[in-house]
Amino acid sequence: MCGVTLRDWRATAALVLLAMVVAAPAFVWAAGQVGYAEPLENAAEATGATDDAESVHTGLLPDYGVPGLGSSAGTLVAALVGTALTLSVATGVGRLLADGTNGTD
Amino acid sequence: MHIPDGYVDLPIAVAFAVLSVAVLAVAARRSDGAIDGERAPLVGVVAAGVFAAQMLEWPIPGGTSAHFVGGALAAVLLGPHLGALSVATVVTVQSLLFGDGGVVVIGTNVFNMAIVQVYVGYAVYRVVAPYNRTAGYFAAGWLGITAAAVTAAIQLGTSSAFAYETVVVLAIMGGGHLLLGLVEGAITAAVARSLADARPDLWPDGRGVSA
Repeated sequence: MCGVTLRDWRATAALVLLAMVVAAPAFVWAAGQVGYAEPLENAAEATGATDDAESVHTGLLPDYGVPGLGSSAGTLVAALVGTALTLSVATGVGRLLADGTNGTD
Repeated sequence: MHIPDGYVDLPIAVAFAVLSVAVLAVAARRSDGAIDGERAPLVGVVAAGVFAAQMLEWPIPGGTSAHFVGGALAAVLLGPHLGALSVATVVTVQSLLFGDGGVVVIGTNVFNMAIVQVYVGYAVYRVVAPYNRTAGYFAAGWLGITAAAVTAAIQLGTSSAFAYETVVVLAIMGGGHLLLGLVEGAITAAVARSLADARPDLWPDGRGVSA
């Protein structure tokens, strides 16, 4: 039963992932409106650790944005690139660890 | 919960990097051959879903925000070893590509989110699920993220940048995530339950019950 059924879920999964990527800019904007702060940041502030944070490596797309691109567009591109890269790398990990059968054996 | 560089003392960062590599090596060995080739992309889809979900910040009036972390969901969907490897992929991409979480402390962040959250979440699920599967998903998400936050708080609270104020950091991070974890648990339960009902064939044992 698995051959066809298992392939079907990939299209659905791709659509769900795409919907999450498209929604990301709106969520990031909304979080910014309430003054986003995680408990980690609150703890750093309470203990005076905030100034000790170092930026050793900012990444190619720092803070989930694209230098030179607007906030929402940058978030959208970052979400798309990050999701695609994560999908590719983790699928590669899955294939490396797979048992070599196709699920119908 | 992504710790930036400079917050954790170097010996602690090194120790958790070594520990993370060791645990993930065991996870890779244990999951070698555990899935068939047809299901291999599921590892990628779960990891990508966790990445995308972490970008969806839920604003909470009053100046805070929560996002789904997803370690427990990955654990119940893929099993703990593949779950750990998938979330480790997410944390690594976030650090290297987006600078979300430091590179010196990448092993520390992997340990908290990809190991503690995943394995504690999975253990909680296995204990609770026999009584009520949905409650098992919820408790896994809730307590998994709380355990990860407590672990991070201990690493931070025993570091010089946080003035060794372990109790203060534990109270803020542990207490904060104990509350925010209710959202994590609810999302874990909703997603896992709907996937178990809709596609039980995708689960490790083909019955919508994680092995």
